[in-house]
Amino acid sequence: MNAVQDNFDIKATLAGSRLVGLWRLMHGFRLPYFGAVTSLGAAAVSKTGTYLLLRVLADRLLPALQGNPSANPVMALLPWIAAGFVFLAVFEGGFTYISGRLAAYTAEGIARRLRNYLFDHIQRLPFSYLDKMQTGELIQRSTSDVDAMRRFFADQAIGVGRILLLFIVNFTAILNLDTTLGLASVIVIPVIVLVSIFFFRRVTKAYESYQEQDAVLSTTLQENLAGVRVVKAFARQDFERNKFEKDNHRKFVLGRRLLLMHSTFWPLSDIICGAQMLGGFVLAAIFAIDGRITVGTYLAYHGLVVWLIWPMRNLGRLIVQASTGLVSYGRVMEIVRQDREPLEEGKLQASLHLRGEIAFENVGFHYDQGAEVLEDITFTCQPGQSVALLGSTGSGKTSLVNLLPRFYEYSTGKILLDGVELNQYSRKFLRSQIGIVEQEPFLFSRSLRENITYGVGRAVSQQEIEQAAKVAAIHDIILSFPDGYDTLIGEKGVTLSGGQKQRVAIARTLLKDPRILILDDATSSVDTETEAAIRQALKQLMVGRTSFIIAHRIQSVMHADLILVLDQGRIVEQGTHDELLARGKIYPQIHDLQTRIESELEQEIASAERRISSTEQAK
Amino acid sequence: MSDAYFEEEEFSTQFNGKTIIRILGLTRPYALWIIGFLIAILFTSVLDAYFTFLNKRMVDEGIVVGNRQALVSIASQYGLLILAQAVSVFSFIYLAGVLGERIRYDLRKRMFNHLQDLSISYFNRTPVGWIMSRVTSDSERVADLVTWGLLDVTWAAMNILTASYFMLLINWRLAVIVLFIVPVLIVIAVQFRKRILVEFRLSRKFNSKITGALNENITGVRVIKALGREDTNLAEFQQLTSEMYRHSYRAAWLSALFLPTVQMISAAALGVIVWYGGLQATYGSMSIGGIQAFISYVTFMMWPIQDLARVYAELQHAIASAERMFSLIDAVPDIQDRPAAFDPGTLRGEIEFDHVYFSYDDKLPVLEDFSLKIKPGESIALVGPTGGGKTTIINLLCRFFEPTQGVIRIAGQDYTNYSQHAIQSRIGIVLQTPHLFSGSVRENIRYGRLDASDEEIEAAAAIAGAHEFIIRLSNGYDEPVGEGGNLLSTGQKQLISLARAVLAHPEIFIMDEATSSVDTLTEALIQKGMEALMKDRTSIIIAHRLSTIRRANRILVIDKGRIAEMGSHAELLHQRGHYYRLYTQQFRQQLEEAYDVFQSLSIKAGST
Repeated sequence: MNAVQDNFDIKATLAGSRLVGLWRLMHGFRLPYFGAVTSLGAAAVSKTGTYLLLRVLADRLLPALQGNPSANPVMALLPWIAAGFVFLAVFEGGFTYISGRLAAYTAEGIARRLRNYLFDHIQRLPFSYLDKMQTGELIQRSTSDVDAMRRFFADQAIGVGRILLLFIVNFTAILNLDTTLGLASVIVIPVIVLVSIFFFRRVTKAYESYQEQDAVLSTTLQENLAGVRVVKAFARQDFERNKFEKDNHRKFVLGRRLLLMHSTFWPLSDIICGAQMLGGFVLAAIFAIDGRITVGTYLAYHGLVVWLIWPMRNLGRLIVQASTGLVSYGRVMEIVRQDREPLEEGKLQASLHLRGEIAFENVGFHYDQGAEVLEDITFTCQPGQSVALLGSTGSGKTSLVNLLPRFYEYSTGKILLDGVELNQYSRKFLRSQIGIVEQEPFLFSRSLRENITYGVGRAVSQQEIEQAAKVAAIHDIILSFPDGYDTLIGEKGVTLSGGQKQRVAIARTLLKDPRILILDDATSSVDTETEAAIRQALKQLMVGRTSFIIAHRIQSVMHADLILVLDQGRIVEQGTHDELLARGKIYPQIHDLQTRIESELEQEIASAERRISSTEQAK
Repeated sequence: MSDAYFEEEEFSTQFNGKTIIRILGLTRPYALWIIGFLIAILFTSVLDAYFTFLNKRMVDEGIVVGNRQALVSIASQYGLLILAQAVSVFSFIYLAGVLGERIRYDLRKRMFNHLQDLSISYFNRTPVGWIMSRVTSDSERVADLVTWGLLDVTWAAMNILTASYFMLLINWRLAVIVLFIVPVLIVIAVQFRKRILVEFRLSRKFNSKITGALNENITGVRVIKALGREDTNLAEFQQLTSEMYRHSYRAAWLSALFLPTVQMISAAALGVIVWYGGLQATYGSMSIGGIQAFISYVTFMMWPIQDLARVYAELQHAIASAERMFSLIDAVPDIQDRPAAFDPGTLRGEIEFDHVYFSYDDKLPVLEDFSLKIKPGESIALVGPTGGGKTTIINLLCRFFEPTQGVIRIAGQDYTNYSQHAIQSRIGIVLQTPHLFSGSVRENIRYGRLDASDEEIEAAAAIAGAHEFIIRLSNGYDEPVGEGGNLLSTGQKQLISLARAVLAHPEIFIMDEATSSVDTLTEALIQKGMEALMKDRTSIIIAHRLSTIRRANRILVIDKGRIAEMGSHAELLHQRGHYYRLYTQQFRQQLEEAYDVFQSLSIKAGST
């Protein structure tokens, strides 16, 4: 049974009331769920029917037992009554199954739809929202909270429905048997429901603190394992044992408290329900002895009253749990409520050939309600040129390049790409035309091949992949792994160094073949041994593309066609290396520092040489 | 996440008698508790069946014959037994539950304590997640088996026995016929339970894959957006959710089918009871109450049967859990103190590596014929490419590992003559990625010496250069550092781990310098702290910073498990070899960072 792979927009279910929202969320599943509830009702009726049939059996049989010769017709009836019992049981079982299956179909279907929606929704939310949210929080809402909602539909809502249906059907049946008896049988029900709600509220809280302690214990354990070298280096084994013992014992104590609560509630509710039941039995028995009701009626009552009273103990549990399901609903919908980035929006779409001419005209930018991050940015660059951005951390370099793929929208001024304002292009198209290589790129725990072809968006031959890897100077390293291009990256595979990751990202970008390139701090690699290889690979990559280079070393930027020196969100100087050296203020200072470094190195070596020769002379 | 697979796939296929005996052995100290809850559950179970019998008597001896006296006496017996059963319910929940918690506690404690004795090599080859699953979930599963599992089986078995007894008592012919269905029901129930469990575990496996996919998608969202891969990602994710849907839906409808199936089979027995029982009744060998009792017994029978099936299905997994848990408890530390190991009182003296060989996995040699003598008070800088063997030298010196061949001597003796504690308590070590524990800054520094006073801690922090930033934190020394120290920056964590080492007053100082750059001020503070630590004691440092390298008495270039070059800074520069290349390259890079061109730029631009 493959459920609907529909494009139902969950955002449309948002409502002022949570119950209305949940009702709308059931779109497409209402009929099955209604079927589940109806089947429950049918099953409850069948169960009640069994006891009413018992009544018939007893009342027909009794005269025979008391030696009444006119009982012979009963003999003929017996097989029919027996068949009636079997039939009702099959009926009840069948409907119970149908109800369970339909409820599961609904709950699992809604949960799957929600999981898919959230996954897609999150990856399409703008950075302005994602920046604010913690990863763990988003994951928790997409997993545990969705699961809490699944349980709401699968267990809690249906469970409450089942108990209420059982109550209605059986209570009606008993009232029909004898009104006084019926009313006398439900005296403690309000008490038991209230007591169980009270108890389960407390127990849920106690359970939460038990779970919290479990998390504390896990952290202690995890830190001990992760820091095993520190523990051993300071010979702190006994200290660690004591620390764990404390947390461990606390969990034991909390668990014991939880059990004390359970071991009080269950027998206590046993006594309350038992007393009610016994009271009913005795009353009914007296009625039967007095001839007010028949023996058969007594037996039917005896069977029915069990289903009236005992399920009520669980009503409190289900109500308390359902309320946690509602809390989860609120948390999930808080994400759903956010607006997605309209990827396709924009007049200019695909099949457009970009030249890559970019002009910033008095561009300003700030994050929501924040201070200005960029102010009055103005510059122009021709297709295929390279623009270098120099500046300290927080000077706005990354914010500036983030505007190009429309990760963020500029607040004032204009950015023109090939003479057309940037927001006329759809985000999807822009991003397909821009390649980004970062200093420590994010790779996915997949094979190297998949990482290289990730997001290329077309079928790529092995030959092409290898060609790109060769240009990126990563091919030989990949071949040195046991599984070559199929080697997995990450926990289950190999760990790559920063420089290797970067070259995988370069290969990926080569395959993507973008018109515009952003090298975010990519030129200052931590991997000194491979710096030359990376620089060569980047040079290859930049050929024929408009490139933005974020750097903080003069060597990386001096060959750029345009150098922008940024400070506090403004361009303080711009020009080529030679121009800036000739008429700049700050750039020459930076350059001086750089040359000073070289001369210091020379001095350093010279002084070392002097020391050597002087010690040699001394000998 | 990958650990989840570890867990799902590794379980033994057969019942292992020895493991079961060993599991039961865990309960030995609590024999009285077990006897206690077993008595309570037996009593509860017998009463459950007896209540039905009392109901029968109420009908046959009270109602049918119209005897009020009998009714009152049976009812009061009934009432008293309800109270008695409440006491026994209290007892078994409390005893079995608390005992379960106790055994979990014991198992966790035992595993944790044992883990403290295991050698670093064990942690190198065992993933943290794997160990955590043993300590957390396996211990619970095993404890549940010997408490609730045992309890459920006892209740179920006793319930079936007692019910059978009363049925035989009421009408043995009918009872024999009815009891025929019990084995059939048990077989069916076990099959159901096993299948449900398999589906359930598969669904959990996909659930952890889903969590992994979400995690990657959120942490890598910038790349995804930049590459426009949203649609493909969603398609891939939908495959995962569909797999999870398939298994959890299957588990759910199998569960929904399970009880009705059992119910319908019992319905056949019910039909027999009514028909045959009715016949018997007309001959006088069966009463109305008897028929009612039979119906109750048969209807109720499915609960003990489903309990038996559940415990049986879970038994296999619990045994597998126990096997994995015992494998952890039985792991022997690779490095153990010799029987005559002693504490020399001090490690001051010469350190000597004498023709040392070492390999982590007996295949790839990491150190080959490595010899080195370090004079007391000397400072050594180790430089060279990654994977050359620098970290191994440190690991051997700390005795996290022992040489596969050759000897390491400290103060004139083979260091395996000393106890591990004697060596490790006198070595101060600062790791490349500093590890802090949840708790306050103060607690983390105190880790270096547990009996240190607050003044001593602050003095150590001052020496290490950490004091200034600590007092600027909003809670000062009481500022929580977060899980693994993640509320602090890398540089701050390094300063605290330096302070921790200062407080320990080590005789030998070992440091693996961080490669990641920190801001200039912090960098200068770290240098100052290191200097304080290196003073008057032997120090060995895996060095990346020029100042550290230059300050060393001797520099060793380690490459391919050997000493490629050795000498003072000037001597090595003069040689124009490995060191020269390494040094000039790093010199440029670090000076650029050290000058922090943009910081000065920012100040100037701001002032104009």
